[in-house]
Amino acid sequence: MRSIVYYLREFFRPEWVRKFFFAKTAPLVAPSYFKDYPSLTGKECTQCLTCMMICPAPGAIAVLHKKGGWEPEIYPGHCIRCGLCVEACPEGVLSSGRILDVTSRDRTAFSSWYRLQVDDTLCMRCGNCCVSCPVNREVDPQLAGTGTSASDEVIMRIEGGRVTILHEEKCTGCKTCENNCPNRAIRVARMVEGIQGEEEAEA
Amino acid sequence: MKKTVDVSIPLGPVHPCWKEPVRIKCETAGERVLRTEVELGYMKKGIERIMRGRPWQEVMFLAERVCGICSVIHNMVFIEAMEEISEIAVPPRAAYLRVIVNELDRMASHILANFSYCYTIEHETLAMYLLNTRETVLDNLERLTGSRINTAYMIPGGVRFDLLPEDAAAMLADLSKVEDEMRRYTGMFETGPLIALRSKGIGVMDREEAIRAHTVGPTARASGVVCDLRLRHPTYRELGFTQVTRTEGDNFARIMVRFQEVFQSIDLIRKCIETLPDGPIRGGGLCRAGETSYAGEAPRGELTYSIKTDEYGRVVDIAIRTPSIMNIEACAHSMIRDVTSIADVTSTFISSDPCIACNER
Amino acid sequence: MSILQEIKNAVRSRSIHVAYVDVGSCNGCDIEVLACLAPRYDIEQYGIYVHNNPREADVLLVIGSVTPQWVDKLRDIWEKIPEPKAAVAIGNCPISGCVYARRGTLTTPPVENYIPIAAQVPGCPPRPTEILSAILSVAPLIYKDYEEKHR
Repeated sequence: MRSIVYYLREFFRPEWVRKFFFAKTAPLVAPSYFKDYPSLTGKECTQCLTCMMICPAPGAIAVLHKKGGWEPEIYPGHCIRCGLCVEACPEGVLSSGRILDVTSRDRTAFSSWYRLQVDDTLCMRCGNCCVSCPVNREVDPQLAGTGTSASDEVIMRIEGGRVTILHEEKCTGCKTCENNCPNRAIRVARMVEGIQGEEEAEA
Repeated sequence: MKKTVDVSIPLGPVHPCWKEPVRIKCETAGERVLRTEVELGYMKKGIERIMRGRPWQEVMFLAERVCGICSVIHNMVFIEAMEEISEIAVPPRAAYLRVIVNELDRMASHILANFSYCYTIEHETLAMYLLNTRETVLDNLERLTGSRINTAYMIPGGVRFDLLPEDAAAMLADLSKVEDEMRRYTGMFETGPLIALRSKGIGVMDREEAIRAHTVGPTARASGVVCDLRLRHPTYRELGFTQVTRTEGDNFARIMVRFQEVFQSIDLIRKCIETLPDGPIRGGGLCRAGETSYAGEAPRGELTYSIKTDEYGRVVDIAIRTPSIMNIEACAHSMIRDVTSIADVTSTFISSDPCIACNER
Repeated sequence: MSILQEIKNAVRSRSIHVAYVDVGSCNGCDIEVLACLAPRYDIEQYGIYVHNNPREADVLLVIGSVTPQWVDKLRDIWEKIPEPKAAVAIGNCPISGCVYARRGTLTTPPVENYIPIAAQVPGCPPRPTEILSAILSVAPLIYKDYEEKHR
């Protein structure tokens, strides 16, 4: 009998009732150092596309032309919150967690560049890559059709029936050539190196 | 004489005890299990196929997502294999930071394995205690790397973030808290009479069987087999690593090995933080062409990456050998055979810490 | 609306049984669902009970991009859940396929092709608090006035 009274008294204590019906753990907030989805810092994007090129997840980031200029946009269903785009961006357009503070303190960065590789056994010499390349189009607006060009400043052109790569260093890594190649003969290789401080990579 | 009807009892793929889909078919006579067969293939995503023709910065994330529980070691083994191919030297501070992150991940993985064992034998109190301790470990992982599970911490030639002195102090404080809690829970597990009834002498695998089945990791170490690749890792050797072995080879021993390895990990991290050398955390370096096979000690055992790269550092061919596959086979053929009740099948299977996502990729 | 219906609504929103099914993920989201059980997040104080039995579940947490083995089994599991029911996609994999949605993959994301999805929790993996708030936000909407709607 006494135990029943004890339990009843236990159960009808106001604080117990309140706890039973209303008690919740405090809203747990993500700590400040959590790498959340990258947010814009307001700095100007130069459309170098480094963030898009280093992104390991397909379709997670795109640099779009908005009213005020270029602006990267993150797609939450695709982004894996790795923070590589934040670290790789040379302008500091994106920010996530405390990555920006850490990289500016330790002077860590990624340096990336692109290498073009044409597989001659697969290449059909159609010239699609040379025509579609946006850098080529800017350098030599007359470049069309077969992909031959009189300008020496283009990234690649058809010379003597095969694709010759002239200025690899101008490539922005947009992969337009790779997408337009009917045979997957041209491949853009992204070389990325993690660097820190004084010892700047030579390229 | 009453005839016993032989039944084949399937467990899974959706089962309250399994975290991941796997199907076990048990041929039983009464309650006694005569033969078991493990049916895999529910999680085959073709990660190795996706990896081909991709540079390291993409393969690194795919390697991490081979397994979410032990993601750090997949990252570490892949990156160290790439470093071996391209002869990149790692700065000493980065090597120590790698050990810290790896050991934190190992602690989280071992505590999770012990949690699921306690959950399977329906000791929910201890399971919840362990899960809460795991949160503290993950907090430290998050403070250092910025995320809880898939950390993406290591890159060729170094690591991504540095350990600040105040973070190191917070980590040491948290570690002593974790150590106190784990001592208490280990005592609870060691002395609990009902736990002993469910785990001691069940699922026994002796040393010969363990060697014959090529078991690795804590499952092998609980049977007295000497196999820990951390003994061969240069940074661990500097830290004076010794391995934990037990000789019983039953469920209890496997769980106790994991408990003891948690303490060992705590000691290793402490030693790392004390002797953390100054200097850069990234050395740079480009990936080159080559071919290698590199192994590291995952929380579940030996993990091997066989990689072939081309001149631009892209992965041409890759083969991953994960530890769980040997442990699951050994579990099916040596441990589960002759257990006396169907309830012990699940707990024995969980005690070998199977990771299906690792296994099938 | 009758008083009985109101009581049903109140009770249903405080008693949610959750089953989770892993249809081919890296199991990072799996263990984040498990981490919701931990006393720090304490999913059970909201009346959410996590277990793995579709036949008594209200909410199905789908984790992972769909592997060929699961294409028909996932539909079976969905049919076995009694009405009212809802499916929540946890993580990037069921939404877009995450890093697996590439050439050479064996998976066929998204999950919406196979079963109706009520809510999505993006992230790789999402934090336990995000999973928790998603389940809590989806539950009352779906179970509200279930009998009235389906009369």
